Amino acid sequence: MQTNEKVPVTILTGFLGSGKTTLLNRILSEEHGKRIAVIENEYGEVGIDQALVINADEEIFEMSNGCICCTVRGDLIRVLGNLMKRRDKFDYVLVETTGLADPGPVAQTFFMDDEIRGEFKLDGIVTLVDAAHIEQQLGRSDESTEQIAFADVLVLNKTDLVGSDGLDSLEARLREMNRMARVVRSEKAEIPVDTVLNLSAFDLDQVLERRPTFLEPEYPFEWTGVYALEPGRYELSLAEGPDPEMSLVITVEQGSDDATLREGAELCVRGYAETPESIVPGADIPLGKHVSLQLQTPGRKSFFLEVDAPMQVGLYAQHTAEEFDMKLLDAAEGSELPVEAERIWVAQHEHDDEVGSFAIERPGDVDPDRLNAWLSKLLREHGMDIFRMKGFLSIAGESSRFVFQGVHMLFDGQADKPWGDAPRLNQLVFIGRNLDEQGITGGFDACLV
Amino acid sequence: MSGVNTDSPKGVLRTGWSAVVGDYAIACGWTCQGSLLVVGDAAGGVYGFEATSGGLRWAFPQIHETGLLALAIHPEKSQFATAGQDGRVLIWDAEDGQVRQELELGSGWVEHVAWSPDGRYLAASISRRVHVFDADGQQAWSSDQHPSTVSAVVWAGSQELATACYGRVSFFSASTGKLIQKLEWQGSLVSMVLSPDGNVVACGSQDNSVHFWRRSSGQDSQMSGYPGKPTALSFDGTGTLLATGGGETVTVWSFRGDGPEGTSPGVLDFHLQPITQLSFAQAGRRLASGGRDGAVVVWALEADGQGKVTGGALLGNVVAGLAWRPDERALAALDASGRVTVWRVGGQ
Repeated sequence: MQTNEKVPVTILTGFLGSGKTTLLNRILSEEHGKRIAVIENEYGEVGIDQALVINADEEIFEMSNGCICCTVRGDLIRVLGNLMKRRDKFDYVLVETTGLADPGPVAQTFFMDDEIRGEFKLDGIVTLVDAAHIEQQLGRSDESTEQIAFADVLVLNKTDLVGSDGLDSLEARLREMNRMARVVRSEKAEIPVDTVLNLSAFDLDQVLERRPTFLEPEYPFEWTGVYALEPGRYELSLAEGPDPEMSLVITVEQGSDDATLREGAELCVRGYAETPESIVPGADIPLGKHVSLQLQTPGRKSFFLEVDAPMQVGLYAQHTAEEFDMKLLDAAEGSELPVEAERIWVAQHEHDDEVGSFAIERPGDVDPDRLNAWLSKLLREHGMDIFRMKGFLSIAGESSRFVFQGVHMLFDGQADKPWGDAPRLNQLVFIGRNLDEQGITGGFDACLV
Repeated sequence: MSGVNTDSPKGVLRTGWSAVVGDYAIACGWTCQGSLLVVGDAAGGVYGFEATSGGLRWAFPQIHETGLLALAIHPEKSQFATAGQDGRVLIWDAEDGQVRQELELGSGWVEHVAWSPDGRYLAASISRRVHVFDADGQQAWSSDQHPSTVSAVVWAGSQELATACYGRVSFFSASTGKLIQKLEWQGSLVSMVLSPDGNVVACGSQDNSVHFWRRSSGQDSQMSGYPGKPTALSFDGTGTLLATGGGETVTVWSFRGDGPEGTSPGVLDFHLQPITQLSFAQAGRRLASGGRDGAVVVWALEADGQGKVTGGALLGNVVAGLAWRPDERALAALDASGRVTVWRVGGQ
């Protein structure tokens, strides 16, 4: 009957030796004055007086229906169920899991059990990563991969034991696996407490504020230059650069504003999927086709293109113009043409790990019936592989944003703030194993009005 | 429905007394031939109230450090046992509120405690084990580790003890601790009751179902479709009716004839929020229900499980405990704010 403020819960995961206990003690000593309950699944050295430390065996409860997504942590239901009865409620609950814990059931507990959901809110999942050992662990165990995939914050700990190049590549690999998480580096888990507590990580707005570019799609090209051409013959001149060949698609009737550049980019993604035609220096470049400029010979090289009507063209190139000192010249006069518009894209990376993440961003409205049907089918068929999902939607006929999040097959959503004058759009992030990005994106596109 | 909308009780419930304890009231029971109500709270306090006046006979506000979890009334003597997060079981003399025995079970939560019907044994569970003590407080036996934390401890007569945990109900010999029977089913069993003859074992499950077994035939059945997990269960004194929570309605299964399989249960619809407590009076198919909505309702049931409201009252908070006085002329209710309310109960 009483509408109590829900108690936030942070889950600390990470392999043995990654620094969980150090971080835990750090939080407890800095947050003195608050009543914090700690639920531990392995005996750590937590020694702070005002914290109530409860040791509980990790108990994974599967249901008779066999669905892994209904799997919950019985120990948490029991312990939290009793904690919530106290009148002097706790301000915060920290759950420290074993290094081998699967974060799925832990997170699912906060969705699946009505009583727990009524009293507690999952604030975030913090995964500690031992920078010196994670590479080996990732190869060996699913648990470490999943702990990274589920995280809202990845604490890259023990950075003093690894060189800065190694850290950069490790961070890039972790980001590839989980684009939703914030990565922070530390030596001895010495990070500001507010980077791990009170994240409201299950609240999408926070994520967008923190990393506004995390939804930027990846393209197989890095650079686009738009040129306004009169009918005539043009020379594309390139100096020596970092690659013996370079992919290129030239779009016609290309606009200069960001929206039309993105439209062109989507077209070129399809073009890039085709096998490129090799073009040797001195030859003509066909418009609208995927070509591979052959750049093996030393010195500057020239390629040609012809237009028979005045128009703007867009050069969607695998590398930036700067890398090859690339110029477009009037072939008759030898004068360089000015670039009308330029755009740098986030280049695609190799996806080595089975676990990865991607985002979808689309303007416009979705049809609620089609979306429901698509999402139900997607979660039913691929819920096992979708670890986490979150985002917001613009539902046709609704005046407010719809925010949602999911863990495996569990889906939770609600109306959020009104759109007002803001442009209506949809943003979705998926993290999971072997996700079919094209299929999922295509499925979502079919839900657009 | 309406009818219970003021502080004054309706129907068969008549104003009695109320009092408060220190924190969320966890458990209660009547002792000393119904002359004393014992209440335990979440702060670890234990209180004794005079049955008719509500006067406080004695109080120990924080005897179980960090919290009390369970309380059991001795079936004959003026004794009761409490258990808590401090890993201890205390055996009390109810008359004067003195602790007669203190049993240390280890570091961990002692979540369940139960006296055998003949009063010879006390069972207490801590983590994955159940320990059984004799009348002198000496440990008679303790079980092996269960596969997971014990979630319920119930006596099947005075000869057998039943425990529930994830995936299993186990029966042990009361005197030797020998494992007699295992009933297995993959699911997290969160509550358990036995029919008075010990034949029917009913468990509420985390997956929103009630699973039950008939020990005589080995037959088991599952009743699914509950909107929530059925934590509240109660058998009537004849073993005919099983009342179950698991939602805003009380679902009552009748074991008449070949039932409840293939029959429609009685559906008792009054509460506006999920059921938290169910307690049958021993006589006359009279059921008390309590919910998260703070309502306490008394029902008169038919043999088929259907029923009607005969009385009710509204507490200010989630109903956390219900106990009929042995003479069934009074009903005690606990709530989440720590209020203890006792009504006199009239005839129907």
